Amino acid sequence: MSAAIAAPKLVRVYVWEWPVRITHWLIATSIILCSATGLYLGNPFLIVTGPAGAHFVMGWAKVIHFYGAIVFALSVLSRIVWMFIGNTYARWDKFLPIPKKRRAGFMPTLYFYTFRLRKPPGFVGHNPVAGATYTLVFCLLLAMIVTGVAIYSGSAAVGSVLHPFRFLIPLVGGLQTARWIHHVVMWLLLGFLVHHVYSAVLMSQVEGNGTLESIFSGYKFVPPEDLVYSGYRFVDRNDVP
Amino acid sequence: MSDLQGSWLERELESHGVSRREFLQFCAAMTSVLALPDSLAAAVAQAVERTPKPILVWLEFQDCAGNTESFLRASRPTAAEIVLDTLSVDYHETIMAAAGHQAEAALTKTVAEKSGGYIAVVEGSIPTAAGGAYCTIGGRAAIDIAREVCGKAAATIAIGTCAAFGGLPAASPNPTGALGVADAVPGLKNLINLPACPANVENLTALVVYYLAFKRLPPLDAYHRPLFAYGKAIHDNCERRAHFDAGQYVEQWGDEGHRTGYCLYKMGCKGPVTYQNCPNVRWNGGTNWPIGCGHPCIGCAEPDFWDKMTPFYRHLPGIPGFGIGTTVDQVGVGAVIAVGAAFAGHGVISMIRRRSDIERMQRGPQPAGPAAGTPPDETGGAKGGRS
Ligand code: SF4
Repeated sequence: MSAAIAAPKLVRVYVWEWPVRITHWLIATSIILCSATGLYLGNPFLIVTGPAGAHFVMGWAKVIHFYGAIVFALSVLSRIVWMFIGNTYARWDKFLPIPKKRRAGFMPTLYFYTFRLRKPPGFVGHNPVAGATYTLVFCLLLAMIVTGVAIYSGSAAVGSVLHPFRFLIPLVGGLQTARWIHHVVMWLLLGFLVHHVYSAVLMSQVEGNGTLESIFSGYKFVPPEDLVYSGYRFVDRNDVP
Repeated sequence: MSDLQGSWLERELESHGVSRREFLQFCAAMTSVLALPDSLAAAVAQAVERTPKPILVWLEFQDCAGNTESFLRASRPTAAEIVLDTLSVDYHETIMAAAGHQAEAALTKTVAEKSGGYIAVVEGSIPTAAGGAYCTIGGRAAIDIAREVCGKAAATIAIGTCAAFGGLPAASPNPTGALGVADAVPGLKNLINLPACPANVENLTALVVYYLAFKRLPPLDAYHRPLFAYGKAIHDNCERRAHFDAGQYVEQWGDEGHRTGYCLYKMGCKGPVTYQNCPNVRWNGGTNWPIGCGHPCIGCAEPDFWDKMTPFYRHLPGIPGFGIGTTVDQVGVGAVIAVGAAFAGHGVISMIRRRSDIERMQRGPQPAGPAAGTPPDETGGAKGGRS
């Protein structure tokens, strides 16, 4: 117990810029808000008695859902725009395992997750597996926006900006199918949420680099060589500090 | 009233004992179904009575004659009967006196002589499998008849969901390869879909009146449905909507809420995803309509309704492969719990490994392989990662 562990020399890196952090939290909050209200919209379980005019339970659930949806859609779209103007960690190419470095780091990262490696390759931002997962997640987020806009447009007033989006209705297979997709994708996103929180805690623990805190502060603490050779850190079973 | 003199309509009205007042009332009613301003009612009346008697041929293919029933019971304004009855119906298998070759001859004659001048109404879907053998009339396949008759018509009205979208015969697995008119005879000009099972005769009447009055088709939506009848979701005009917004739902057939007239959303009502003016024009001469008498909307006017709107008494279909009766929510909760359990397991293993790592660390450095941070060459990064 007395053997002192030499603190590894780490550098503080600004990874997540403020637009990334803000959109992250807006997307997270709006998903939770819209899922909570959406579960009620799909199955209104509260019992309301008395004159109809005295209550507006479903009405409020819809209002919250719609405002949550506006925040959600704008945040997702802003984040996608930021993929093209943000820093290197925010860029679109971090989401697709296409660049050579990221292809090379993909399998080792997967080996780490499946316990075949002690430590993951040192990627400072998203690791290649996480990046690819987020690509799928962004597809789900876009599916949510498209089906949601289609459903809303069906009842939007003629003057509403969403009314012209009725053209989406046949493209998503009709409104009832759009509802079904919207509902199924909600569960997929909730499943992802569980996975995401867990992975963040795991990475924070194993890498000891402040992953969990970084989404608040923007900063990670990484070995200096990761910064230079991001994704190239040589790892094997004995490579334990 | 001199402008009435000599018009076909005036003679018909007179012979049926319908007053001009009733006729004007009918025109006002139609103006409102068409969602036109009241001030246009007089113009509509004038246009209708000055228009020459339109010729109509009614084709029945894979159908149940439900739309014919609807057509024959145009019950509300007697004047509607006049307008519909006095459409010169040159061919209609169910109601025409002629039969067999005589009947077919009438059709051939109209198509040949009045080419481009008649309205074709199609009821029922058109089978395309087995070379169209599933539905033939006088030895001709439905698809051939439709191609010729609709192709030469001034306008085609696909009445009912079967003619509009394929309907019940086209439901999975669609053994006869049934299609709606738009798909079976692509490229038809002036095609109007009047879906619903059956279509509401008020909308057919209004459509005919519009056509007589304005000599063109009303504005249509992406599915070729007239906006005056299919522009709004049932849900947005429903008389139970206040209960929907309040959060008051029928939970069970015959419960307190059902008797009070609460919203049928939880009984699987498809009003929010179905477009038609049922709440406004209602059925059987405005007597009532399904939701009005306590039954949820089944979405009969929507494309693929038999496949997509089922199960009728549930909000959403389940997920294929998870068994009938399993809801998306049940599968969803199960999936989220499974993800949680999987990661909890992963977490336990990670913790154990981490502990052993720390112990190993405390025992002192190992004779290790390449040191951390050694930049490998371009290809070495991944390979070096294997344990
Ligand atoms: S009964 Fe159906 S259409 Fe009417 S408010 Fe309820 S869900 Fe909407």
